[in-house]
Amino acid sequence: MTQIKSDSCCSPSAIEIDIPRIFINIATCTGCGLCGEVCPFGLPQSNGSGKYEIKSSELCIECSACARNCPTQAIMLQEQKGCGCLWDARARKKNPSNSNGCGCC
Amino acid sequence: MAVTYMRKLEEEPSTYDTKFTTLTKGVNNKVRDWVLDRIRSSQLIFEIGCGTGALASKMALKGNDVVAIDKNINMINYAMKNYPTETDVNLLYQIGTVEDFTVEDNSKDIIVSTFMLSELKPFEQQKLLRMAWKALKPNGRFILAAEFIPSGFWKRIFKIKRWWYKKKLRRLRLKTTSVIKWFFKYLEPIGFEINNHKTWKHGSIQALELLKVDVNGNNKPGYYRPRAKKFKGIHSQIRIYRCIFTGQIDHVPIEPGLYKSGNPNRNSPIIVTANYEYTYIKVMRDLKGLDAWVLCVDSDGINVWCAARGDDFGNNQLFEAVETTNITTITDTRTLILPQLSAGGVSIPQLPKKSEGFPFKITFGPVWSKHLPQFIKEKPGRKSDKMKIAKFSLSHRIRAGITHTTFLFRKIFLLPLLALALIILGFNVLLGLNWYNKLYWIGEIFLWIIVANIIISLLFPISEFTRRFIVKGVFFGALNVIILSTLTWILHNSIIFILLNVCFYFWIAFFSTMSFSGDTMYTNPREIQGEYPIFVRINKILIIISLVFLVIGLIIY
Repeated sequence: MTQIKSDSCCSPSAIEIDIPRIFINIATCTGCGLCGEVCPFGLPQSNGSGKYEIKSSELCIECSACARNCPTQAIMLQEQKGCGCLWDARARKKNPSNSNGCGCC
Repeated sequence: MAVTYMRKLEEEPSTYDTKFTTLTKGVNNKVRDWVLDRIRSSQLIFEIGCGTGALASKMALKGNDVVAIDKNINMINYAMKNYPTETDVNLLYQIGTVEDFTVEDNSKDIIVSTFMLSELKPFEQQKLLRMAWKALKPNGRFILAAEFIPSGFWKRIFKIKRWWYKKKLRRLRLKTTSVIKWFFKYLEPIGFEINNHKTWKHGSIQALELLKVDVNGNNKPGYYRPRAKKFKGIHSQIRIYRCIFTGQIDHVPIEPGLYKSGNPNRNSPIIVTANYEYTYIKVMRDLKGLDAWVLCVDSDGINVWCAARGDDFGNNQLFEAVETTNITTITDTRTLILPQLSAGGVSIPQLPKKSEGFPFKITFGPVWSKHLPQFIKEKPGRKSDKMKIAKFSLSHRIRAGITHTTFLFRKIFLLPLLALALIILGFNVLLGLNWYNKLYWIGEIFLWIIVANIIISLLFPISEFTRRFIVKGVFFGALNVIILSTLTWILHNSIIFILLNVCFYFWIAFFSTMSFSGDTMYTNPREIQGEYPIFVRINKILIIISLVFLVIGLIIY
C-alpha cells in the first residue's frame, strides 16, 4: 500500500486547487475580440463559434490588459501588481504595503 | 534645495514649522514676511496648502477674509488648535485639494500658496494656474512661493543637495516631491503676468506675485502647449543613448502635452504615448513626418509598458492629458490611438463618458511604434500578429544587455573597484611595491561583466525551456563559467587562477540573468516575486564565496 506522507493532507500546498490563472467565461463572452487585440502574447483566440478562449493560460503574465478592457467583464483573473522586474519584486517583498514598487520603471 | 525633505516633516505637524525653518535656514520666514507685505487688509483670500496655518492666521489677523485648505487632516487639526483667539477673525480651515475644492468664479482678490507647487506634476501645475485664474476677480493676484532650480554653478549644488535628501527619503520609504522645471513657461499662455519676483539663496527659493490677465478677451484662462521638440540629429541620438545606458534606474521625462508630427489638421489622427524621452523620439522618428497629433500623457518619464503596469499610464493620466491640452477643441478627430501596451493600465469601460468631458473612442494600436504608419493607413479591425505580439527580439536583448552592463558598473562595481585601484596605486607609490598586475586584474573584472552580458543577450532564447529565472540563472551561470574560464586560460594559462574566479564568473551571469527578468515582458510578476526569496539566499552565498576567493586571488596572484 502506498503510504500517505504526513504533510500531504494538512499542509497548505495539499489543499491548493489548480485553477488556471486566467479563463474566459463563455456565457458572457460576446466574441468582440478586444482581448485578442490587447494581449501582448496573443493568448485569447477565437474558438470557431464566435467566442474567445485562452489557449495556453500558463503563459499569461496577469497584466490585466484584457480583463480591464473587456466590455462584459467575462475574463476572470486576479491582477498581479508589479512589472516583473527583480528589483520591483524586492521592493514589494520588503514592504508589502508599498504600491509603487521600486519606482525605477 | 532641501525643501523636498518636508515630506518627512509633514508627519509631525507640531514640529513642522520649527524644523522647516531649520531646513530652509530661515528663508521660509522671510517668504512669509514677503507675502504678508504684499497683502493689505479687507481682501478675500484663498490659501492652498496652508499646512499649520502659520501664514493663514497672520493674514486673517491683518483683517482679511481667509479660506485655507490643506489635504493633510493632521495639519488642519493642528491649525485648528492654534486658531487665533482674537474676536472678529474671518478664517476658515478646510480639508481638501485643488482638484476637489470648488471656488466660485471671479470671487477672490488673492490666492496664496507657499511651498506646495512641488507636490504637483506638470499637468497639475497647469490645472492649478487655470483654477486660480478662474477663481480670481479681474486684476486679482496669485502669490506663490516654491523651491525652483537655480541657474549656473548653484544648479550643481542644488542637484547634489537634492540627491542627498532624496536618498534620505528613500530610506524612509517616502516619495520625493517633484522638481519644478517648466513652471514659468505656463504663466503667459494661461494668463498671468509677473508683477513682482523675489529670489532667495541664489534662486533656489523664489516667490512670485502674479497678476491675472485676460489673454483671450473671453474671460477664460488659456492653455499651454510645449514647443516642438527635436527628434532628429546628434542631440536626440545622445538622449537615446542616455536612456539606454540608464534604462533600469532613471526616469527621463519630457514636457507632457500635445506635439505635432508633420502638419496635422483638424482631421489628423491622434497618437497617444508616454512622456519618456526615448519613447517620444522613437515615436516621432517612426511616424516619418506623417501628419498626426502626438499626445504625450504625463507618465512620469517612464516608458509605456512599465508606466501602465505601475499606475503611471492609466485612465487618470489619459483624461488629465485630454483635459489639460484642450485637444477636443483643437481637432475634430474623436478617436485616440493608444499604444497596445498601455492596455495594462487603461480601461476603456471605466473611462469618463462624453458628458463628463471625454468624447473619444479608444483604439489600441500596435505594440511597437515602427508599425504606426501602417496601422494609421490600413486601420485594421484585427491587427496582424506582427503588430500585436511582443517579442524579446535580438535588438531588445542587446539594449537590455547594455543597460545591465552599465547598471552593474554604475551601481555595484565602480566605487569599490575605484577605491581598490587607488589603494593598490597608493601601495605601489608609497611602499615601492610592484603591484601593477593587480591593477590589470581590476580591469579584467570589467571585461568579465561585459562578456557575461553579451552571452546572456545573445543566447537568451536558448533558456526558453523554462520560465523559472532561477533555472535560467543557473544555466547561464554554468555557461559563463565555461566561456570565461576558457578566456582566462587563454589570457593567463593558470588553473589556480581559474579556480579562484569560478564562483565569481557564475555569480555575474546568475545575477545578470535574474535582473533580466524586468526586460523580457513575458515575466510574470507573481512568479518573480515567488522566486525572489530563493534568489536572495543563493545570491548571498555566491557573493560571500566569490568575495573570499577574489580576495585570496588578489593577495596571492
